[in-house]
Amino acid sequence: MTNGILQIARAAGEAVLATEGVHSLGTGRYAEAATYEGTEKFTGVVVKPDELEIHIVATYPLMRPIPDLAQLIRDRVATESGGRRTLVVVEDLEVADEGL
Amino acid sequence: MRVFNRIVVILLLVGLIALGAYTVVYSFELFGYQLSNLSSALNGFTSGVEGFVSDVEDGNLPALTIAILAAVALLGLILLFMEFKPRRPRRVRMQRGTYVVRDIVKDEVSSAAEETPNVLGSTTTVAAKRKPGAKVKLRADVRRGQDKKAIKSDLRERVQQHLARTGVPLGRLKLKLVESDPRQTKTRVQ
Repeated sequence: MTNGILQIARAAGEAVLATEGVHSLGTGRYAEAATYEGTEKFTGVVVKPDELEIHIVATYPLMRPIPDLAQLIRDRVATESGGRRTLVVVEDLEVADEGL
Repeated sequence: MRVFNRIVVILLLVGLIALGAYTVVYSFELFGYQLSNLSSALNGFTSGVEGFVSDVEDGNLPALTIAILAAVALLGLILLFMEFKPRRPRRVRMQRGTYVVRDIVKDEVSSAAEETPNVLGSTTTVAAKRKPGAKVKLRADVRRGQDKKAIKSDLRERVQQHLARTGVPLGRLKLKLVESDPRQTKTRVQ
């Protein structure tokens, strides 16, 4: 059952990072937000049995309101989530690199 | 750690320290205290407790003791209710599984306040509500003699607009304008 949760986390993380308005994945504010499997971990996405918790740092200025960004993320990770409920936690805002 | 737990732990630690101190004093026979006298000291304590209990049973307690006991009981009841109350969430809930940390809301409110004309500085406190939305307390510094009502209404509107643009639901906004010396505030000249 736990087989592949790290893969799910990685796939979801990639999908999230490809979303416009996401600067990076968060690390967790009060506790580390990560998925652990064996000796490896993936930070920013927590895969639970019935929930997928995604921690992000959004790009500032915001391109769209946070709920819309969260919905976009949910749509993006829908295929990776395996029917889990997706929670989006915005941990911080980071000014976009204009030159890149 | 919540208040109730903190009080229990403090009482426990104070008791342990007192017990440890007594043990050291009696073991090494410091300050004239001897281990052989310990039983008589304990007897004094137990007879005091017995006297108090018999006074309670007879209803002979002084008014001050009754008041103290009633206050302790009331405090215990209040702490018990506080303990049963669910913990306030640390993150601000938005909608359908979306959360935002309080600092983001705080920064947004502060930037809205600082964009408001005649506001010299601000202090913001944000608390997450159990239902979606944030509870915001904003204290803004203004110059003496300015139209506080107009500034307050402008400030409220800007904060609401700013948060609406971000998508953060505003549960409650408490504004307080304080007349301050511009030389002592964040924004000195406007």
